[in-house]
Amino acid sequence: MISNSAQLDVKKQRDFNEITPGWNVLFNILIGLFSFSCVFPFLFVIIISLTDEQTLALEGFSLWPSKFSTEAYSYIFQTGHELLVSFGVTLLVTIMGTLITLILVTTYAYAVSRKSFEFRGFFSFLAFFTMLFSGGMVPGYIVMTQFLHLQNTIWSLIFPLSLSAFSIIVMRTFFQTTVPDEIIESAKIDGAGELKTFIRIVLPVSLPGIATIGLFACLAYWNDWFNALLYYNKPELTPPLQFLLMKIEKNMDFLIKNAQNLGTFNAAAGLPTETVRMAMVVLATLPIVLAYPFFQRYFVQGLTVGSVKG
Amino acid sequence: MKKKSFFMALALILALSAILAGCGGNKKSSEPAKEEAAVQSDGTIDVSKLDPVTLKLYLIGPSQKDLPKVQEEINKYVGEKINAKLEITMIDWGDYSQRMQVITSSGEDYDIAFTSSWAFDYLPNAAKGAFMPLNDLIDQYGKGIKEVLDPRFLEGTKVNGVNYGIPANKELAQQFVWRFNKKYLDKYNLDISNVTTLEDLEPLLKTIKENEPADITPLAVPKNFKPYLPFDFVLGDEIPIGMYIDTKDNKYVNILESPELKAALQTMRKYYKAGYVREDVATLEGIDNMKTGKWLVDREITQPYAELGWSRSAGYDIVTKPMHDPIIYTSSAAGSMLAISSYSKNPERAMMFLNLLNTDAYLRNLIQYGIEDVHYKKVEDPYIEDLPAMNENYAMPGFALGNMFLTYLHEGEPKDKWDAFEKFNSSAIVAPTFGFNFDTAPVKTEVAAVTNVAKEFIPALYTGSVDPDEYLPKALQKFKDAGIDKVIAEAQKQFDAWKAEQK
Amino acid sequence: MNVAAFWKKVIRNRALLFMVIPGTVWFLIFAYLPMFGSILAFKDFRISRDGFFASVFNSKWVGFKNFEYLFTTSDAYVITRNTILYNLALIFLGLVISVGLAIILSELVNKRMAKVYQTGMFLPHFLSWVIISYFAFTFLSMDKGTLNQIITFFGGERISWYSEPKYWPFIIVFVGIWKSVGYNSVIYLAAITGIDKSYYEAAVIDGATKWKQIRYITVPLLKPLMIILTILAIGGIFRSDFGLFYQLPKDAGALYPVTNVIDTFVYRGLINMGDIGMSTAAGLYQSLVGLVLILVANAIVRKIEKDHAIF
Repeated sequence: MISNSAQLDVKKQRDFNEITPGWNVLFNILIGLFSFSCVFPFLFVIIISLTDEQTLALEGFSLWPSKFSTEAYSYIFQTGHELLVSFGVTLLVTIMGTLITLILVTTYAYAVSRKSFEFRGFFSFLAFFTMLFSGGMVPGYIVMTQFLHLQNTIWSLIFPLSLSAFSIIVMRTFFQTTVPDEIIESAKIDGAGELKTFIRIVLPVSLPGIATIGLFACLAYWNDWFNALLYYNKPELTPPLQFLLMKIEKNMDFLIKNAQNLGTFNAAAGLPTETVRMAMVVLATLPIVLAYPFFQRYFVQGLTVGSVKG
Repeated sequence: MKKKSFFMALALILALSAILAGCGGNKKSSEPAKEEAAVQSDGTIDVSKLDPVTLKLYLIGPSQKDLPKVQEEINKYVGEKINAKLEITMIDWGDYSQRMQVITSSGEDYDIAFTSSWAFDYLPNAAKGAFMPLNDLIDQYGKGIKEVLDPRFLEGTKVNGVNYGIPANKELAQQFVWRFNKKYLDKYNLDISNVTTLEDLEPLLKTIKENEPADITPLAVPKNFKPYLPFDFVLGDEIPIGMYIDTKDNKYVNILESPELKAALQTMRKYYKAGYVREDVATLEGIDNMKTGKWLVDREITQPYAELGWSRSAGYDIVTKPMHDPIIYTSSAAGSMLAISSYSKNPERAMMFLNLLNTDAYLRNLIQYGIEDVHYKKVEDPYIEDLPAMNENYAMPGFALGNMFLTYLHEGEPKDKWDAFEKFNSSAIVAPTFGFNFDTAPVKTEVAAVTNVAKEFIPALYTGSVDPDEYLPKALQKFKDAGIDKVIAEAQKQFDAWKAEQK
Repeated sequence: MNVAAFWKKVIRNRALLFMVIPGTVWFLIFAYLPMFGSILAFKDFRISRDGFFASVFNSKWVGFKNFEYLFTTSDAYVITRNTILYNLALIFLGLVISVGLAIILSELVNKRMAKVYQTGMFLPHFLSWVIISYFAFTFLSMDKGTLNQIITFFGGERISWYSEPKYWPFIIVFVGIWKSVGYNSVIYLAAITGIDKSYYEAAVIDGATKWKQIRYITVPLLKPLMIILTILAIGGIFRSDFGLFYQLPKDAGALYPVTNVIDTFVYRGLINMGDIGMSTAAGLYQSLVGLVLILVANAIVRKIEKDHAIF
């Protein structure tokens, strides 16, 4: 309601600067088509997840299978406890991780965005250099397991992703372009310290940038499975959702390639069927897609109501 | 000036990591005296002389819900026998190789891990030093293993005369068979008694192609299909380097240049054009013919009574016809092994455990089938019946857990199953390079390149998807550019040296 | 630099230094500490009983032997060419399209629809390459594929997509952009949102058309971001999105001449050997080339517009 009326107000005000109806229609069609092409595979996944298993084996993937079934979902929800816990783990990691990332990125990026910071070049390079070089998997594994002893804790899923030089550099650019130096200088003249200026003045006007970094961090955590593969392995620990999914994909791949080494052992019997896998993709993706508008309001709605947040 | 401070920081970091590196490597040599004293003259173990230890195991397969329960039961028994406790971690099929690679490289001190010629590869890891040499340990603490295991298992898995793993007692030889869907054999009254080679299949494939609808695949094979070639491969059947099984001169050859391969490729090309295989076979990772039942023949590795197992899991009758006699290769001896890590702090105890696992029927069945009356029910010796809890919470890959000949049978399996395995093993031909393990390190650059070329050409050629007249010379040239001749020469050099030592 | 002056400088900057401490600690532990592993690229890694560090120090130096396979094979030229050309196409087309999309999205009259479109464009980011390759297969499969059905409907000859290299450069670039552009345009959309609205109001008062506003306000204000993201992308020019080149073409041998890139070459060559020295060497090689390219790109930008350089 509120956003509606705000939108109307703005519309009235800014009508004169809208694109012409002709262009508007053209753009709508173009973007609409592209957007549809992006949604389509996902619909396809949903349809496969609702296809009858035997039909799928016989007919292959099809957009309109001859027989539908909700078997896959009822199968998942039967053994649903693990999935629910796994969902919880993912959620916890994503939320905590995103918060930690935001703190680390914004503070670091703000400091290196300030022209008055005399170590600016050094710290920019320190961050940037890590984008290019990494020692590989094994040294990272040793740091995590033998120095920090964090394997099989939730931190082993959070720390490796908490900071990325890419985010710092993007955020630094946001600060530089959207927060004019004059604002900071005038705050300083008013007697505010750097930290206070940062929290009271800089952060509130940088919401679109923060939301972008937050979104990226959020997605990185949500989609991460590799750290779980390396560090999270105990029967009593439920791994995050994406790891479960990825594990199935990798197992399929492996078992197909090595079928003849397994003799008569029917390893495939332990694997979920194709439809169940697709159903898992749906269940692992929907929540984050639904959470997306939360971030989105900072990009799109922000456009309509100027710099006042919606 | 900025540059200078940067390098100062870098130096600081390097110094820091060197210090940390210093504390990383903690030296600790184990003390075998107690274990030595515990082994009595008759071979039994005096537990009272042993300190309690915990052995850390990594096994392949999906994590099982009831593993902690079963592990507790195992520990009671193993504690009594050798005063040890197990800590088993299962790592899923697709993750196993990668994770074990990281674990071993990082120097984590586990005790026992699954290794084989196809997952967490035995040979390169043994060569790299990931596993502990076992010869002395077997003599001292693993006498039972030597008694139960076909000696050729240990012979075949030696790397430069050293054993680095204990193979599981199972089928030792490898034999490819044609598998047939009996339904169609019966329907058209097809006779398979004379079918051995790829060429022999033609009339059968033709019958199906002409009389059945298009969605029945006569020869249902995916991209990794290889026609049977009478070679002993040195780097797996994907890389075309091998020695004739009935070799006279003990020379490795480039298989692409052999007349056998040329003939097979022509036949496959004919079949491909006739539509006997799937049109997209060259990109087909797997094929679900078993599930759909819409196929006549495919190719598989067999073991005694395998048809029974296949028929049971498919739900319809499957019959087989061998392509050749069973052959014992180096790689077939390394199909499933347990190795002791070179980081193990208690290698003696680990070997005692492996000995127990391979000789003690109770322990062996406990680890595979779980707890009696919880996971399975005894019917009439040696038969058991799975209880629901087994399928749901404790489905372990039995072939990866040591001596299979000790395990219970399921109803429907013949009583002489394991005898048949022994017969199968003893009837087999021994491949000319059996026991030779090729160390690729001196030619790893070339091997990496040759592997890439193989992945590019082999599936398309071997499935008949491309014209061999055009692509075989192309492939040959590319393999030569990648350095296949150098790999062959190195393999020959190592083989000759090994051969000389054998005499 | 004399010590007293240095400390004075530290004290002068204490507040901002304080803010970089958490990030710096993270970088030291999780990025710089593991970097010493790079020396494995010059070693023949053998495990010794006393742990990883002992293994590293005891392993023999082999100079550049671990790098050889990247250069000496007949595929070296093909993989390097493919990697660079695909990345250039993906970087520059990606840049133009994602900026274009962001601008169009910001100009759509109906903001609600803009939101819906934008959410849609984000979805491919969530699908793994395995699933996208299934999906592509329903289009490109020889017998049942949608494209072949359309072709035969119009009387054409069926195409065996997975064995015809000539189509794949387009397919790969198309799918690569399709998958990433929704995600990448978010940054630009956020940057557009952050632009002070008074610029546009002033422009409207001066009678600037929409086109002129975009050209003289939006694009120049996005320029710093465009430059920086492009420089960063150039640093990754020797790396590629593995699934795009491996999963999507279904690892079809016939397509290698146009799909084999450094990452897939390394993967295929080492999967059986698992040689940690050689894989580290590949990573180091990619990093070094990236570093050089970034330094060059950065130097050029610095010459032209000092403010927009990364450092």
